Amino acid sequence: MTDRMSDLFQRFAALASLLGLTIVFSLVSNSFFTVGNAMTVALQVTSIAYLGIGATCVIITGGIDLSVGAILALAGVVAALAVKAGVPVPLGMLGGLAVGVLCGVVNGLCVTRLKLPPFIATLGMMLVARGLALQLTDAKAVGGLGDSFAELGNGALLRVERIAPDGFPDIVFPGIPYPVLVMVVLAVAAAILLNRTTVGRHIYAVGSNAEAARLSGVNVRGVTLFAYVVSGGLAGLTGCVLMSRLVTAQPSEGLMYELDAIAAAVIGGTSLSGGVGTISGTVIGAFVIGILRNGLNMGGVSAFIQQILIGVVILVTVWIDQLRHRR
Amino acid sequence: MTDALLRLDGITKRFVGVAALQDVSFELHRGEVHAVCGENGAGKSTLMKVITGQLQPDAGCMVYQGRQARFGSPREAQAAGIAMIHQELNLVPHLSVAENLYLAREPRRGWFVDRVALRANAARCLARLGVGIDPSTRVGTLSVAERQMVEIAKALSIDAAVVIMDEPTSSLTTAETARLFEVIRDLKRDGVGVIYISHRLDEMAQIVDRITVLRDGRHVGTHALAATTIDDVVVRMVGRALDDKFPPRTSAPTTDVVMAVDGLTRKGAFADVGFELRRGEILGFAGLLGAGRTEVARAIFGADPVDAGSVRLAGGPLRIRSPRDAIRHGIAYLSEDRKAHGVAVDMTVAHNVTMANLAAVASRLGFLQFAEEDAVARRYVDTLAIRTPSTRQRVRLLSGGNQQKVVIAKWLFRDSRVLLFDEPTRGIDVGAKYAIYQLLDQLAARGIGVVLISSELPEILGMTDRVAVFHAGRIAAVLDTRRTSQEEIMHHASGRPALQRVLGHAPGHAS
Repeated sequence: MTDRMSDLFQRFAALASLLGLTIVFSLVSNSFFTVGNAMTVALQVTSIAYLGIGATCVIITGGIDLSVGAILALAGVVAALAVKAGVPVPLGMLGGLAVGVLCGVVNGLCVTRLKLPPFIATLGMMLVARGLALQLTDAKAVGGLGDSFAELGNGALLRVERIAPDGFPDIVFPGIPYPVLVMVVLAVAAAILLNRTTVGRHIYAVGSNAEAARLSGVNVRGVTLFAYVVSGGLAGLTGCVLMSRLVTAQPSEGLMYELDAIAAAVIGGTSLSGGVGTISGTVIGAFVIGILRNGLNMGGVSAFIQQILIGVVILVTVWIDQLRHRR
Repeated sequence: MTDALLRLDGITKRFVGVAALQDVSFELHRGEVHAVCGENGAGKSTLMKVITGQLQPDAGCMVYQGRQARFGSPREAQAAGIAMIHQELNLVPHLSVAENLYLAREPRRGWFVDRVALRANAARCLARLGVGIDPSTRVGTLSVAERQMVEIAKALSIDAAVVIMDEPTSSLTTAETARLFEVIRDLKRDGVGVIYISHRLDEMAQIVDRITVLRDGRHVGTHALAATTIDDVVVRMVGRALDDKFPPRTSAPTTDVVMAVDGLTRKGAFADVGFELRRGEILGFAGLLGAGRTEVARAIFGADPVDAGSVRLAGGPLRIRSPRDAIRHGIAYLSEDRKAHGVAVDMTVAHNVTMANLAAVASRLGFLQFAEEDAVARRYVDTLAIRTPSTRQRVRLLSGGNQQKVVIAKWLFRDSRVLLFDEPTRGIDVGAKYAIYQLLDQLAARGIGVVLISSELPEILGMTDRVAVFHAGRIAAVLDTRRTSQEEIMHHASGRPALQRVLGHAPGHAS
């Protein structure tokens, strides 16, 4: 089998399991395979997908980012507090995004300049960011943010409504929710970045052999820093979108999301030893997790059993991946 | 001498359609040193993997000590008394020398490791090799040559009946090699069969009894050393006559100085190193391991810091703080450690070739032009005769010599004014070596200044215009190659009387 074929096989395997899950759940539940539920799944997956894209970039360089769940909370809280203090919504959200980027910069500097292991650097950031979010809000949810704050998370493009004769709005077409739209744009942009640009190639080179890359003139520190900034920035964005969807900023939101993001990347074929990974794989991985959760929910499977199953899925997919790479 | 210790008959091994070994037979006697020769990719490694149980043959049988044998794993083969010394070192850097020697078979007292016995046994093993390494040293702090000696000691410590040595001398000095050959003679006297794989044919002639030649996975012939010549062996290996080991030099150095190094110093590694490199010149760096040659090259390239000194390029002073700076100014460095510093083995041939000059195959906005990249890679695959099914092949799957060519292609694609080549032909077969020599000459003819670091004196004498001989972190002499000799170079390299230093700790190992 050539490398090309094995790459195709990998994509196909992940995609096939996704389709398999869809078919099984459709057979089990009548309400699973509907437009409404598809929208729900897509919306639920967005957070994992944003974070997963960032995680993929970091993991390809051979690192890991454990802080995204906490950064998400901090960014969302900062955006909400800013809006509460009278800052216009777009500016407030930009502030949230900036917080994410800033956390990413700190992560990247800890890894590249202080030479901390990525696991430790981002573990520290996870505690700092979560602590800050709780301190800023006194551990209370920030509510009463108004409709315009909810727009990003709940609005949709091309939504068609008609006022029915009885005076209630009648939805002709639900439209494409903004979070889903953002996910598609991000995924395409990240895939282009990784595959078609020099920066992307350098990300793979650093993860594949950092010393060879350095001796080839690759700016290893810069590239690594960039990956953490992308991850932090995307976490900031996730925070804004998620809090907007909920129309409240919860400082305890996003707990353990970093693990979902890493799981999505790993299910999609990203190697934790660096140098290998694709965005398409990660998006598929995010959907595998999302559909599994959604389908099991609809099937009335308890949250505990769900956890067990998702754990098993991660173990099995990575094991299959290992089998494939063993020669 | 006639009882076969190990006999292989009609061994065939295929990898996805390609026959790596085709009907190969091989016989090893007790007390014999049997060389296996062939170009890279001829099937030597595959044959050894079959013998040590790393691979299972598709056809053929193996008889070991009079009994049909088939080893399911290297561990089984080792238990049966077949030890392999790998070319790529398999030591755990964080453990001590003693712990490495007895890894997974530590002497025990009850449930605990018997540390006293461990140390004593290890010390005995090392003493047998005559190596002055303290068994409690961490392997990570040893030089490549010292690690090689530890690896050899490890193989000897299992009291093997068959010892396989894959390029054991590739990073050893002359004195260390001589010591190793004494050990091999001891082994012969004890009736051990030694399979010896090496590209250094001249050196091999000192120790070998019979030579088996493989070419393209086939057995070409087995001859007693006395009944053949090294030249014949080479002809059989490549399937054609090689007139000369070195191509005629077509380039001649000019008088323009392209790079001038002055007073370069890093404490503990090298001191007050100064030399001039001219356009079109090949300048050799000779010297013993640890004399500071690699360290100086890496420092010029910005890979390691310097404490003092200056580098001037084409007259202008340079401030080089990283390899990026050096590359921008047209300096390239080909590392001696190909696997760790040269290639990214999980990336493709094309990706490796363009790694140092990605901007040249990208649009102004940084978008890669795949067609252009592929064309570039294909061009170098052709000119350097890199054996690969396609430019999309992962470099991991290429042989060592072809991986080295990929690294060279990377630096050729990045047009440079100064090329620092550190052991560019280490572990590479005769045909590929010749191609690399031709390339060095062509590069010099284009007006590039080439520094050739080599531990093989014939290579220095055959390819360079001048030689800078290093000793203990300083340049002991700069000699005109045409008016010098191996003896004179060794004389300067060894710092006169102190040949004993060879095995001791020369400065410059600190990593």
